[in-house]
Amino acid sequence: MIKKQNELKKFWKIRGMGAALTAFIGLIVIYIAFGLINPMVFSGQNILNLLRSMSKYLLIGVAQSCVMITGNIDLSLGSLVGMSAMIVATLMVSGVPVIAAIFITLLCGIAIGILNGLLVGKFKLPPFIATLGTMFVARGIAYMVNNNRNTDNIGIKLGKGSADAFQQFFYYGKTAGIYNTFWISLILFIAFFFLLSKTRTGRHIYAIGSNVEASKLSGVDVVRTTIKTYIFSSVCAVIVGFILCAQAGMGNMEAGNMYEMYGVAAGVIGGVSPLGGSGLLLGTFAGAAVWQTLENGLNMIGAQVGIQRIVIGIIVVLAVLMDVVIRSGKKIKIANKSTK
Amino acid sequence: MGDIIVSMEHISKSFPGVKALEDVNLELRSGEVMALLGENGAGKSTLMKILSGVYTRDSGILHIFGKEYGNFTPKEVQKAGVAIIHQELNMCRHLSVAENMFLGREIIGKVVLNNSEMESEAQKYLDELGVSISPKQTVGDLPLAQQQMIEIAKALSIHARVLIMDEPTSSLTSREIAELFRIICKLKEQGCGIIYISHRLEELSYIADRVTIMRDGQYITSGNFKDFTMDEIIENMVGREIKEKFPRVQCEKGRKIFEVKNLNAGRLVRDINFSLYEGEIVGFAGLVGAGRTETTRAVFGVDPKASGQIYLDGEEVKIRCPADAIKAGIVLAPEDRKKDGLCTKLSIRDNLTLPNLDIVCNKAGIINKKAEEELCNKAINDLSIKTPNVEVDANTLSGGNQQKVVVGKWLVRNSKVVIFDEPTRGIDVGAKVEIYNLMNKLKQQGIAVMFISSEMPEVMGIADRIIVMCDGKITGELMAKDATQNQILTYATAFENKVGQNSGREEN
Repeated sequence: MIKKQNELKKFWKIRGMGAALTAFIGLIVIYIAFGLINPMVFSGQNILNLLRSMSKYLLIGVAQSCVMITGNIDLSLGSLVGMSAMIVATLMVSGVPVIAAIFITLLCGIAIGILNGLLVGKFKLPPFIATLGTMFVARGIAYMVNNNRNTDNIGIKLGKGSADAFQQFFYYGKTAGIYNTFWISLILFIAFFFLLSKTRTGRHIYAIGSNVEASKLSGVDVVRTTIKTYIFSSVCAVIVGFILCAQAGMGNMEAGNMYEMYGVAAGVIGGVSPLGGSGLLLGTFAGAAVWQTLENGLNMIGAQVGIQRIVIGIIVVLAVLMDVVIRSGKKIKIANKSTK
Repeated sequence: MGDIIVSMEHISKSFPGVKALEDVNLELRSGEVMALLGENGAGKSTLMKILSGVYTRDSGILHIFGKEYGNFTPKEVQKAGVAIIHQELNMCRHLSVAENMFLGREIIGKVVLNNSEMESEAQKYLDELGVSISPKQTVGDLPLAQQQMIEIAKALSIHARVLIMDEPTSSLTSREIAELFRIICKLKEQGCGIIYISHRLEELSYIADRVTIMRDGQYITSGNFKDFTMDEIIENMVGREIKEKFPRVQCEKGRKIFEVKNLNAGRLVRDINFSLYEGEIVGFAGLVGAGRTETTRAVFGVDPKASGQIYLDGEEVKIRCPADAIKAGIVLAPEDRKKDGLCTKLSIRDNLTLPNLDIVCNKAGIINKKAEEELCNKAINDLSIKTPNVEVDANTLSGGNQQKVVVGKWLVRNSKVVIFDEPTRGIDVGAKVEIYNLMNKLKQQGIAVMFISSEMPEVMGIADRIIVMCDGKITGELMAKDATQNQILTYATAFENKVGQNSGREEN
């Protein structure tokens, strides 16, 4: 019994757990509230849809959270989604086999990630500016891939079978009764969760976000860690691009517009500090779920798009405001203690 | 004495436009504390940054444990057995104690990090130091003194035999300093060599075995600490004889300017009453954490007051925020220059004009360049701030000159009360005297000076009247000419009985 209590206490004490659990509680409250207004929210099909559509926010959220934990930001994520949707679609339309198309697109995304990492890590550009630049570049590439046109009908050359397999794998297919999209994002989520909490690279990601100078002096390779992190975030964005491409059956030049900000929102709602050094991906999970539940729920109760945006905006600010208030209270306590 | 473990010969280093080090020598033996002394800007930190691999030298030979090293990275230095404990502690606040100690050299199990082993290793070294810190605690939640212990434990855990300590005592209480010295002695016995940088010369007699003195980027002398008198050390550091460490000016005590009545603000400001008079400097003595800084913050309107009145020239003034205080003519030169005193990324000019924009702006809020220039020149001349021009960033100046900027930005206004909080912390002997002279000048001009310092000789040397605080209360008041260190210390440790046993410094 005592041991169990200790375990529970330990669990609570993990840094960032408080914020993550708060976000989960918020999620449950919101979900139940919507369900009471419209019971359809509780229906099995809606839950499945909810899980599927939150997947892209979850992936982008994980991507942005990793970068935010290093104390940086990646504004190019949304453009990367569009770029990879366009590249993968265009490759398939021109007859490149699905697997190869996926592989090439991933490499393109990784190239952008390395570029971001070099600009921020090695050349010390402010991350906001560096990734603002790559944001425009990536979107520009999305436009140029097919001469300023969306790429329609991805199955046209490969035949229906291949295109179907792609769409099934990334969007329409189910495994164990749940859409593949959710499984993909869940697997990646677990992989990144593991990476951040259990590996050396993960430790370094937190460390450089907390104090770059101290990390450098401790022998952490800051440039490499930064580049790695941007590669991780790019890979996530590319996969979201696949998902959107599979969903629509085409490549859309505007796909993923604003997603980088959705990623920030998901992370921040879940307690990831945009200043770096702290936050749990568990929180990001809750954040992405809150985001999607709000969108879904407001939709189901028939709220206008405008209202949806306003509510979401308020929630983001409230989540951080709460954190700031709690933190400043804590700080005063600590200050009192240490001056004593 | 033990073998020579570090030897640096003919080290030179230039930065664009500045020759930081010229032909500097340094030797460290095992089992000794070598005090590296010099004014700010003498090149001590540059030399240590070369030894710790942060900077590369232009020329010179470097041996560590007999092995010659060319250019190396901080990681290679660690391997060679050199660890540096930074003045501004370099820790990842968000990470735990064990995570910080093993940063950059994490222990990996089969695939994943082996946290439990790192924690038990960390515990081992913390125990060795005899400090009660749990390896699982988050570093940001610990007080500075404990963070420093963690850095020392970290140094031990990488088997460092050469420890560089840069101003390790600047933010510690006297009890914590004693603890630190105990650990330094222990390290010495184990055969470590310690390079100790400090501006508090009085503490050297407790620990230093040898001294090396630098000035203006050059090696001046070195030798056994016992063979030097304190005056000789200072003379070598400053390059001139300092006649009076504490210059004193006599003034007629005039009328009452400023009065604080029944001030309460939080646990560390309880029922504070005091007055300041024309022509006197009032020193506030006490231990770190006695509530002196908190008192100034409450007076200046930074922290909210629970109750109390403030009178200026006999009239009550309401101070709700710093702007109220400034308008009334009460100004504060805060304790932490870099954090609270200066915008380090802005130029000297911007810093000097920031609180005086009302003076240099016209009604539309547009800055009058000429007025601004006059104001800056006046401050720079009055305080003899050494700076190439007013456009350089504030953080490029030496500590003493930064302090002058902090003070200077207030003195161009016609202030009536000037509060100095630890104005000489971390600045060198020569600059200290200049700050003292400045306070004396204010005193002669009839400005009330309130002066907080944790260094007792300084309070006794400069203040005319001394108010002692302990645990948020004023516990004694005495005239400087009658004061003794013992008496001040008695007041400073006059804890109330119920807290006397456990003054609450313990974290757990």
